[in-house]
Amino acid sequence: MRADMLTSVLTELNGTSGDIEASGVISTDGLMIASVLPAGMDEDRVGAMSAAMLSLGDRTAQELARGGLEQVLIKGDKGYVLMTYAGAESVLTVLAKPNAKLGLIFLDVKRAAASIADLL
Amino acid sequence: MPQNFNELITYSKAFSGLTPDLEACLQDIAPVITPHLKRVTDSFYEQLATIPVTEKYLAGRIDHLKAAHLRWMTDLFTLNVDAQFAEGMYKVGDIHVKVNLPVEFMAGAMTLINTELIKLVVETMGKDIDKCAKALQAINAVTGLALMIMQQSYQESSIAEELEKFLKISGMSRTLFTNLAKAYN
Repeated sequence: MRADMLTSVLTELNGTSGDIEASGVISTDGLMIASVLPAGMDEDRVGAMSAAMLSLGDRTAQELARGGLEQVLIKGDKGYVLMTYAGAESVLTVLAKPNAKLGLIFLDVKRAAASIADLL
Repeated sequence: MPQNFNELITYSKAFSGLTPDLEACLQDIAPVITPHLKRVTDSFYEQLATIPVTEKYLAGRIDHLKAAHLRWMTDLFTLNVDAQFAEGMYKVGDIHVKVNLPVEFMAGAMTLINTELIKLVVETMGKDIDKCAKALQAINAVTGLALMIMQQSYQESSIAEELEKFLKISGMSRTLFTNLAKAYN
C-alpha cells in the first residue's frame, strides 16, 4: 500500500517534466524502497550508489562548513543525478536529461521529497 | 574475527608441509629444545636492537615482549597444531596490526628466529643427522605455518582497519557499505 503510494508520487514527479528520466526512493542504508526506473537500470546499484553519494555529500558539507546538506547534484555529459533527503531515513534520487531545466526540477523534487517524507 | 579456524589450519598445513609425523617430532624434541628457548628469545631481541627502525616498537616494553615471545615459541613445540593453535596465531597477527607494526617485521622476525633455532637444533641434535634433519624440517614447517596464519590475519585486520577509517570519514554505515558491495557483486 505504502509502496504503491510512493510509486505514485514518483510517477507524478517523473510526469511533471519531460526532462526527468527516472526516480527512486531509497533507504539511507542503500536499499530501494520504490522506484520508477527505465528498463535495464539496476535498482540495487542506483539505490546503493545514491545513498553512498548522499552520505558523502553530508560529510563533505559538514567538513567544509556548508551546514546541513540539502542536495547532491552530479552532472555528466549525458545528464544529471540529483539526490536529496526525503525525511531523515530516505533518499530521493532523480535522473534528468542533460538539457533539463534545473530550477523547475529542484522545485518538483523538493515537493516530492516532502510528500515522501510524510508517507514514510 | 570471522574465521573458520579448522579450515585455516588445514589450509596452512597443506602449504607448510606440516605432516602428523612432523607434528609428533615437534613434541618429541620439545623437552630438549624448550629449556634453551629463552636464549633464542634473548638473541632475537639483541638482533632486533641492532635494527634502528625496530627501536620505537621495543622501547620500554622489552621484558613484556620477551615474555610473550618466549610463550609463543614454546607453544610451537608444545601445543597441538589444531584450530585453537590457528586462532592463537591469528590473534598474534591481529595484535601486530593494532600496534602498527610494519608487515615485513613478521617475516623478518621469523627468519631471525629460524636462524637461531637452526643453531640450537644443530647444537643439541647435530650428532644424530636423521633426527637433526627431521627436527629442522618440523621447525621450518611450523614456523612457516605460523607465519602464514599471522600474515593472513595481518592482512585481514589491515583491510578491516582501513575500511573502518573509510566508513568514519565518509559517514557511511557498515550496512550501506555492505549493500553497495553487494550491488556490485
